[in-house]
Amino acid sequence: MTTAEAHKDSGIGKDLVVYVFLLVLAAIQFVIAYQNITADQMFERMLIVAIVEAGVALLFFMHLNENRGLRWFVVISTVAVLLFLQYGWTDAHRLANGVPWAK
Amino acid sequence: MHGTIMVFFVLTTAPFAAFGNFFLPIQVGAEDMPFPHFNMMSFWVTFVAFLVLVTSFFAGDGPTLGGWTQYAPLSAIGAVGGPGQGLGVVLWAASIGIFCIGQLLGSLNFITTTLDMRTRGMSLMRLPLSAWGWFITSVMGLTAFAVLMPACILLILDHVAGTSFFVASNLVINDQVLPHSGGSTLLWQHLFWFFGHPEVYIAIIPGMGIVSHVLITNMRKPMLSHRVLIYSMGALGALSYMVYGHHMFVSGMNPVSSLAFSFPTLVITIPSTIVVLMWLGSLYGSKLRINSASLFSLGFISMFISGGVSGFFLAQPSIDIMLHATYFVVGHFHLVMGVAAMFGIFAGTYFWFPKMTGRMMNETLGKTHFVLSFIGAYCIFMPFHYLGIAGNVRRYQAFTDDYLIPLIPVHKFITYSAIFTGLVQLIFVFNLIHSRFKGAVAPNDNPWEGTSLEWSTATPPPHNNFGDKMPVVYHDPYQYSVEGASADYIMQTSPEKINSPDEEK
Amino acid sequence: MSQADLSIHGQVSRTGATEIMTAPTFSVSAKKMAMWLFIIADSATFAGCLVAYGFTRNATPNWPRPFHSITNVAVMTFILLTSSLTMLIGVRSAQKGDKAGAFRWTLITAAFGILFAVLHIREWMGMIGEGATLFHNPWGTPLFSSLFFSITGLHLLHVTGGVVALIAVALKYQGGRYGADDLEVTGLYWHFVDLVWMFVVPLVYLLNLAH
Repeated sequence: MTTAEAHKDSGIGKDLVVYVFLLVLAAIQFVIAYQNITADQMFERMLIVAIVEAGVALLFFMHLNENRGLRWFVVISTVAVLLFLQYGWTDAHRLANGVPWAK
Repeated sequence: MHGTIMVFFVLTTAPFAAFGNFFLPIQVGAEDMPFPHFNMMSFWVTFVAFLVLVTSFFAGDGPTLGGWTQYAPLSAIGAVGGPGQGLGVVLWAASIGIFCIGQLLGSLNFITTTLDMRTRGMSLMRLPLSAWGWFITSVMGLTAFAVLMPACILLILDHVAGTSFFVASNLVINDQVLPHSGGSTLLWQHLFWFFGHPEVYIAIIPGMGIVSHVLITNMRKPMLSHRVLIYSMGALGALSYMVYGHHMFVSGMNPVSSLAFSFPTLVITIPSTIVVLMWLGSLYGSKLRINSASLFSLGFISMFISGGVSGFFLAQPSIDIMLHATYFVVGHFHLVMGVAAMFGIFAGTYFWFPKMTGRMMNETLGKTHFVLSFIGAYCIFMPFHYLGIAGNVRRYQAFTDDYLIPLIPVHKFITYSAIFTGLVQLIFVFNLIHSRFKGAVAPNDNPWEGTSLEWSTATPPPHNNFGDKMPVVYHDPYQYSVEGASADYIMQTSPEKINSPDEEK
Repeated sequence: MSQADLSIHGQVSRTGATEIMTAPTFSVSAKKMAMWLFIIADSATFAGCLVAYGFTRNATPNWPRPFHSITNVAVMTFILLTSSLTMLIGVRSAQKGDKAGAFRWTLITAAFGILFAVLHIREWMGMIGEGATLFHNPWGTPLFSSLFFSITGLHLLHVTGGVVALIAVALKYQGGRYGADDLEVTGLYWHFVDLVWMFVVPLVYLLNLAH
């Protein structure tokens, strides 16, 4: 609990920093949306920003930075499941293009 | 409906939810699960799911014809798809959606019990293997069912809201062009099998845990390695998410992903083999006590090996293309998942019955039940493999094609065996009911001379599992035949100092 | 409870409340652990929906891109992010023992949630006014609106549930039945709803922005 105690005093200030950071990241997503790039590139960049955003929210808003064991348990199980879900994409490309991988 | 009821409401519910709810809190040394309300809700929610499913027998034009996999597009186009494909499918999807909620609540409880409610001295590695089986299963159930639920919701929307998630454009059924457009039938298979394959392991891993627990108690010695067995079960759980595509090799799948699924499917045989070798190696040279529970455990191993070996064939796309949707597959999964898991349930029942009721089950009847079931199960499911290799397709209602007619005698033999095996189960039902009321009273709280916590509490366990004293754990779960110890077995709660090389620190 | 007592019986009396248990594996209370597990499961549920969306979008030529303005969704994002901050302040106040502050900030969070839901429904109404339903829309493949309403609907359901939970927990906290822990656990859920929105916005809205 000592780490949590230590955070309490300076907590709100740090929260504000994180909050502003998240707002900036969200704004970046909106900026990307207006750039003149293909949907694939857009998807890629937005997803990266979203993952960073999610990571920051998990670590600081949801306090996973204070608990190493829980952090790995949550991150590994969630990321593994989310990754394994992605197998379907290959078929989506094939349906669209008629070849194993997108051209 | 046979598949749905058996997979969801028997193989998932009985070894995992039923035994787990009773014995997991006791084996970790908790007075109860942390959320008793969730616990009760998960039971009643599952019950409601079952009622909804049963309702479909009496509603509209009967239950769905789609089996437990509910392949789109026939499951998603409504009544055009055949009798029961309208309301029947909606009720099916609703039932399974509700079932997912029950599983979620149950899994939450199981995991928090294991992580947070262990009694003093009970480190994770001191948990018995059955508790580990339930724990790993609940971690899998947590995410697998969570993906099935949106799939069910989308399927219901296809029926009631006119969407077409799972129906492609320009589909013609019964000379009618359907109004749907744009969806993908493969999407259903991806979402379903992403759940469906972990589900297979959800059915079998509790059985592995129970069987290990029962065998060790009857072998009077621990497994060759407690840790390796746990890690192998964990690896099975993790790998099971990576292999689901092997159900879809002939669905018109991307050839690259066929390869990507075939490889982990072959890799998953490694932890399975380690588990089996662990059992066999530990059995070798042990003086196994032969009773109904240990016999059914041996039966489990036998079924698991027989069914598992045919898995090597099916794991390879080139062979699977020939064997897919034949009786070979039916034989494979009935042995490895169906009969094996059932044998696990039987082993657990014979083993824990004295703890649950205070009475012993009749051993003569139990052994008879085992021998006849064992022979019966092989007589049913072994010939399925030959039928499959001969090209006999599954899901046909009559075998009138030229090449199938010579196979009819085999089908007859299977039918006789199935009726015989079904009748044999009456012995079990009789034994269960008779022993419950008139069986020999268990000699003490620990009739099998086991070491884990369930044997150190009263029989049947009181409402808070341990009465007014909580147990304190000093040892590994399986301290049998320890040199220099005062007895053949050291209970986990025994404070006796022992010098055992296997003892976890 | 002395060590000697223990070694005689292998049992310990229930009265020694905390001593009788092994410390939780991740040093997290059962309630918090359950919430984390729910979050893992729920992220799989959302991921299932988003994969269905991506799969369909990818396999459909000429996917419609009907959104012209991002003002509404930007405001909604801002509101939801801000509500996460107020939630944090509420939890921190509760941990410091400032009951009134915690109650107030939690209710403010709930109010932000209601505002979010209202804006969201207004947006839905606008789209429905243009002729979008679950099975039809004026812009192209009907699957666009099916998936749009399903995914945002699932998220809206989570927001609504979250608002109800926030109000209920805040009231019970005020009444003394719940403590700071319960507020924190509810907060975890609220942050998660926020976190999901961070994925829904780019994938569902921004990728379908008309150029």
